[in-house]
Amino acid sequence: MFRLDKVRTVMRREYLSRVRTRAFWISTLLVPAAMIAFAVLPSLIMSRQGGTFTVALLTPDEALAAEVKTELARRSEGPADAGLMNIRVEWIAPALDSERQRAELRSRVLAKELTGVLVLPAGVLDGEPVEYLSTNVTAFRLIGRLDGAVERAVLRARLRLSAVPEERLDQLTRTVKLEPVRVTQEAGESREAVGSSLILSYVLTFLIYVTVMIYGFYVMRGVLEEKSSRIVEVIVANLSPTELMAGKIVGVGAVGLTQYLIWAVLAMNLAAPGLFSLGLAEGASRFLSPTLMVFFVLFFVFGYFLFATLYAAVGAAFNSEEEAQQMQTVLSMFLTIPFALMFVILNDPDAPLSVVLSLVPFFSPMLFFLRMTVAFPPTWQIVLCFALMSLSLLAMVRVSAAIYRVGILMYGKKPTLKEIARWVGSS
Amino acid sequence: MSQSSAHLELAHVSKRYGSLLAVDDLCLAVPRGAVYGLLGPNGAGKTTTIRMVMRITLPDAGSITLNGAFLDDRLRERIGYLPEERGLYRKMKVLDHLAFLGEVRGLPRGQARASAKAWLERLGLEEKASRAVEELSKGMQQKVQFAGAVIHAPELVILDEPFTGLDPIATRQLKDEIAAMAAKGVTVVFSTHVLPQAEELCDVLCLVNRGRAILHGSLAEVRARFAQPALRVETPASEAELRVIAGVAAVRRRERDYLVEMATGVTAPQVIRALAEHLPLLAVERHEATLEEIFLYAVENDHVSTR
Repeated sequence: MFRLDKVRTVMRREYLSRVRTRAFWISTLLVPAAMIAFAVLPSLIMSRQGGTFTVALLTPDEALAAEVKTELARRSEGPADAGLMNIRVEWIAPALDSERQRAELRSRVLAKELTGVLVLPAGVLDGEPVEYLSTNVTAFRLIGRLDGAVERAVLRARLRLSAVPEERLDQLTRTVKLEPVRVTQEAGESREAVGSSLILSYVLTFLIYVTVMIYGFYVMRGVLEEKSSRIVEVIVANLSPTELMAGKIVGVGAVGLTQYLIWAVLAMNLAAPGLFSLGLAEGASRFLSPTLMVFFVLFFVFGYFLFATLYAAVGAAFNSEEEAQQMQTVLSMFLTIPFALMFVILNDPDAPLSVVLSLVPFFSPMLFFLRMTVAFPPTWQIVLCFALMSLSLLAMVRVSAAIYRVGILMYGKKPTLKEIARWVGSS
Repeated sequence: MSQSSAHLELAHVSKRYGSLLAVDDLCLAVPRGAVYGLLGPNGAGKTTTIRMVMRITLPDAGSITLNGAFLDDRLRERIGYLPEERGLYRKMKVLDHLAFLGEVRGLPRGQARASAKAWLERLGLEEKASRAVEELSKGMQQKVQFAGAVIHAPELVILDEPFTGLDPIATRQLKDEIAAMAAKGVTVVFSTHVLPQAEELCDVLCLVNRGRAILHGSLAEVRARFAQPALRVETPASEAELRVIAGVAAVRRRERDYLVEMATGVTAPQVIRALAEHLPLLAVERHEATLEEIFLYAVENDHVSTR
């Protein structure tokens, strides 16, 4: 007998006793803050890494030096730079004693007089490599700028040598941009910012991972608390253990959904303008289709129920968090493995390996969802995926309820796996 | 006891845990309005029996009835239960907690809250209503636990080892609560291994040992039936020497004296005369058995009879 009014009573307690805590609101607000910080801070800091850089150009070819200078100047005209990065170039002709000159330049770099030295050898037009001497060789933004400028300058110089008329140089050295176009069933073709959709795939999958793990853990801790505070027998005198377990899992899950709802509202009102300013939003609006959001919630719900029933059983079987730790690690591994496999899937979402991995019920909430974000899988796979998850969920509920029924009234001794297996067998 | 007068009845109830027969063909009848003591040593099967009544574990065999009807989840809500292992949610507010327990016990939401408020007033805890449970003293928490067990005004209350961990004041208060419930006609069943408490409180008792009822009846009945007329004898003679005297049914050695049970049909003067004739006696007197002795005697004999 399964009485819904009893389940509801437990659910309400679980829900309210969590949502009413300060910890809930702090974590709810902290997570998006941390996410925004992770997403925005690096590029924010990078974009602030402007300033004036003095780079010496050591080359015998004065014309080439001038060309590099022009290229750098051209590059700082773009709107994205907004004058934040100002590169000054100082041309130096090679001296007779090249060793000594190089030593001198090194000491000027060390004295911070120069940011770096670009060494363009005489054979640069024939493919001899260019050196960049600096104390900081991981200044990606500066080096990228210099790299591009030298590349184009050398290209122009080569074309000039081949007697290409001056007025055709701009046309011939124009850069080519590669634009990824996704082919889909519904839309045919969709052009989106690949970078932003990748970040969003990652963020959403990460959200499922983190929330399933955290809320599963809450369920386990709740069950352990009921055991250690000895409230559990007071309650199962009027409720069946299964009713108690169901109420607890649904109540805690509802807290998770509430958190999602708050995040969604926050994202729409606060984060969206931020994404726009980063140029991530054009793709995002198309990417976050209602269908995908429905599946996101579905996968969270399935993932949560699959793992929460297991976490509840672990909580019931043991007496303390320390005792439960080992099994808890095994559970979190089932969550972490798919997380580690994310890039395998992203690289080739429709490969047989990806399909099989994403259909493993405990991996599906993350991996199948991840596949959905990159390339919508065929309907039969979606049906199969949910069928497999439902079947596993039913099996898990049976196993966990059996462990739960016996475990919650066992105090004291830490049970062995064999004993736990017997509890399942005897039901 | 006939079915009609029994409030709660267990018929041939058994429960096995692996190789351990925790409850063995147990029959009990709790009369309506009685204060009923379920007595027995630790591990006798008291808690298992109570858990079966509360349907926390189900019996392997036998039937349990309340007012003659099969005890199901719905009928169970007429019973109040305070388990031996009891506690509260530490972070919950006191009033919310009691109201939650009321709902769990089957009260509608509004009524559960009203009842919880009334109980807090009665316990003198109304100003703690919005405090977290963990802020209460241990004694106050025990009061809340008790209130949580009876908040739905049950017609029968089961208390499993209710006095363990209580200080003398709390013990007195709980005894008063039990008396108050009995006065209102509520049937009270409690288990204990502390016999003086049982002697003081209960009208009817059942002694359980190794899963079976070995003594059952009102306190007076049990005394009359079980405590054979006995003599307290101080003598340097041995147990064996006492045992062969005519009219002696059994001898139990105690620290400084013997308890000599008399055979049926003989009178005390006859036995005293026979004793004095054969043995050196230092002192002899009639002995009124305490419940503790009856209990020890019955448990001991139970071992002997089944071995």
